[in-house]
Amino acid sequence: MQSAPRNPTVVEKLRRYLISQEGVLFLIMLVAVLFLATRTDKFLTVDNLLQQGRFMTEVGLIAIPMTYIIITGGIDLSVGSIMGLTAIVLGWSWQELGFPLELAIVTGVLSGTLAGFVNGLFIVRVGVPPLIMTLATLALFRGLAEGISQARSARGYPEWFFELGQGEVLGIPTQLWLVIVSVIIFAIVLARTQLGRALYAIGNNETGARFSGLRVNRYLLLIYSFSGFMSGLAGYIFVSRVSTTRSDMGTGIELDVIAAVVLGGTSIFGGTGSVVGTMIGVVLIQLLKNGLALSGVTSDATIVVIGSVLIFAILVNNFVQLRRDGS
Amino acid sequence: MSDLLLRMRGINKSFPGVQALKDAHFEVRRSEVHALIGENGAGKSTMIKIVSGVYQPDSGDMQLDGRAVQFANPREAHLAGIATMYQELGLYPELSVAENIFMGHAPMKKRLGLNTIDWERMESGAEELLAELNIHDLDVGAKVGTLNVGNRQRVEIAKALSLDAQILIMDEPTAALTESDVEQLFSIVRLLRERGVSIIYISHRLNEVFELADRVTVLRDGETIGMQPVAVTNEAELINMMVGRKIENLFPKQEAQIGNVVLEVRNLQRPPLTRDISFSVRAGEIVGLAGLVGSGRSETAQVIFGVLPAESGDILINGAPVKISRPSEAVAQGIGYVPEDRGHQGLIREMSIRENTSMAVLETVSRYTFINRAQERSLANRSIEQLSIRAIGPEQITNKLSGGNQQKVVVSKWLASEPSLLIMDEPTRGIDVGAKAEIHRLMSRLAAEQSLAILMISSELPEILAMSDRILVMREGRLVGEFSRAEATQGRVAHAMMSESARQVASAAP
Repeated sequence: MQSAPRNPTVVEKLRRYLISQEGVLFLIMLVAVLFLATRTDKFLTVDNLLQQGRFMTEVGLIAIPMTYIIITGGIDLSVGSIMGLTAIVLGWSWQELGFPLELAIVTGVLSGTLAGFVNGLFIVRVGVPPLIMTLATLALFRGLAEGISQARSARGYPEWFFELGQGEVLGIPTQLWLVIVSVIIFAIVLARTQLGRALYAIGNNETGARFSGLRVNRYLLLIYSFSGFMSGLAGYIFVSRVSTTRSDMGTGIELDVIAAVVLGGTSIFGGTGSVVGTMIGVVLIQLLKNGLALSGVTSDATIVVIGSVLIFAILVNNFVQLRRDGS
Repeated sequence: MSDLLLRMRGINKSFPGVQALKDAHFEVRRSEVHALIGENGAGKSTMIKIVSGVYQPDSGDMQLDGRAVQFANPREAHLAGIATMYQELGLYPELSVAENIFMGHAPMKKRLGLNTIDWERMESGAEELLAELNIHDLDVGAKVGTLNVGNRQRVEIAKALSLDAQILIMDEPTAALTESDVEQLFSIVRLLRERGVSIIYISHRLNEVFELADRVTVLRDGETIGMQPVAVTNEAELINMMVGRKIENLFPKQEAQIGNVVLEVRNLQRPPLTRDISFSVRAGEIVGLAGLVGSGRSETAQVIFGVLPAESGDILINGAPVKISRPSEAVAQGIGYVPEDRGHQGLIREMSIRENTSMAVLETVSRYTFINRAQERSLANRSIEQLSIRAIGPEQITNKLSGGNQQKVVVSKWLASEPSLLIMDEPTRGIDVGAKAEIHRLMSRLAAEQSLAILMISSELPEILAMSDRILVMREGRLVGEFSRAEATQGRVAHAMMSESARQVASAAP
């Protein structure tokens, strides 16, 4: 190792992190939190923050596979509908088909996974563009959910069922643990494994990936199924949190998820992005929503502010990354 | 007053990294069919693009009808009476025949004070134009998209004539035509010549040149090698002029021990560009696959590599039949493929050298699916050293490398997979002379020292002749010739590539 570069010092490492996509976003988040904390004393409290963690679980879980998918240059618009479908299948198989609740949960999440698999199958085998395919299933899965539920909602779950959505473990909301563990695992999977490398390769140049002998179709099928699975899981958690099953659950969540992913630095054209960035995006949006509401800002004004922050964050990041690449 | 219509002298044109035309000259007489021929990359397209105003020459003068002209854009050339017939590109499939013919200069009339298209005059005008070409069976109201290729081409010609063209440029007009369409096209061309239109005719098919043209100009490496009446030349002489360049900058091939058959394909079939292909490649052997662009060489390579899986036929690796229906299966069988389109198929340009060199061997540099970066980096460092890739280090993004170094990264990706067969599709296209020699030296060394079987596709005959132990020639999706290193000459190989009569020559060769 004669010509190997010397190991970077701690300062250099820190500097590199700070000017990365995630670093810049994290700074923006800090500024936002500090600012909101000066507006109201109800915002920066442990209880409030943990409560916000509970609320962002569904978006957070779905944002992980969405990051994977967008990195490959694809998109999944059907996640909200899969959430609704899962919730309905769960309630319906328990109440109408008489499944034990444990089996009903598994059935629900599996049907979500199957829905994602169907997306992947058509995208890979038939060559339907992801945007078109999942736009179609956005309607189709929602319709299925409505058809099965017949506008009835399923209630009356036993006490243990609410543990995941409403309980706490070691003082932290149960589902937040799930998010934390998932983020750690899937951030590592994306950054360090063959799957992760393949996703980046596909997003940058799908033909090149194929010509290198990567199993492109298999990977795509896997991540769309994974997206269905996580949406199903989110559906289950959502039912557990709100104690009831309705077919319109998860409506519009795909836009929150995509906004968080893109805010987190994942290019909508594919090829770049990270799970950590996405999570900062999820947290930033949730904290802005909550903090502004607590400061007495009306909900329509909140949306305007969030939109502006999104654009601002993306501009700042573009500027920083451009300077970095140029130097 | 001479009957010279177009006269071009001392034309120079260069693009970054390549001089496409060097002091080239060309001319067209009134009522003449003038064929323009040359190998791929000889400068034919550049020449006609200058004539039609798409490119502007760096220097040189161009006279039309005795007056110096310069076209800033295709429109000016158009107005001067130079029409170009592209291969289908110029037509709108959703519009009618008449609309296509008069695109951009439709007859107008005032209606309610507005300028509107005079549909009746347009349709009758289109009919007249077609009638002048002896075409009476075309419905001018039909959508162009519903016509067959031959008829679309007639529409193209009519469109060109609607502008009173004096010169019509036809670029490979018969490439996609059936035989009867070709006959019709030829009669139209002769008709036009009688009417005083001059035609610049570009074709790879020499028999067409002899059938149709009055004179022929040969370009080679951007220079005009010869211009003469067709009557005083012959096929052999033209081929000689097209390919007869000095063999230079090529590394002398190392003698290699030829071993067992590594790859054998039998009756490989995937029409239209892979038809009944059978051949074999042995360990240590470099087999050159020659042919014109579009003859099916790359497609056949991609059939073997599983990108375009075969419809029927057998692939045998080391004597054992294997099924290859996707690239990953080919890689598993020890096949590597350095594709023609480096930036699109060979590299992930946005990724680093490290990530590219390990792309085909992710399994080997991983443990329990976790990629070992240290191992990856040492692989990349080794590649950089072995192939002398000029880069800052393994983390450099490949997009920033020169073409030659990019190609070395692609090669190193496949060497990392330790293949027993390496398919190299145009391995030295678009890279500078130095890197080219390095790639040649590498290929030769791999065959001689590591007994690698190499199937090399190339459009450069000198490269094919210098590097190959054996040469296969493809034309129109079929293998039409095979030559040993000893019996191969530029003339024989080029003849097999281009000529209809080559089939007998090829089968006569042992």
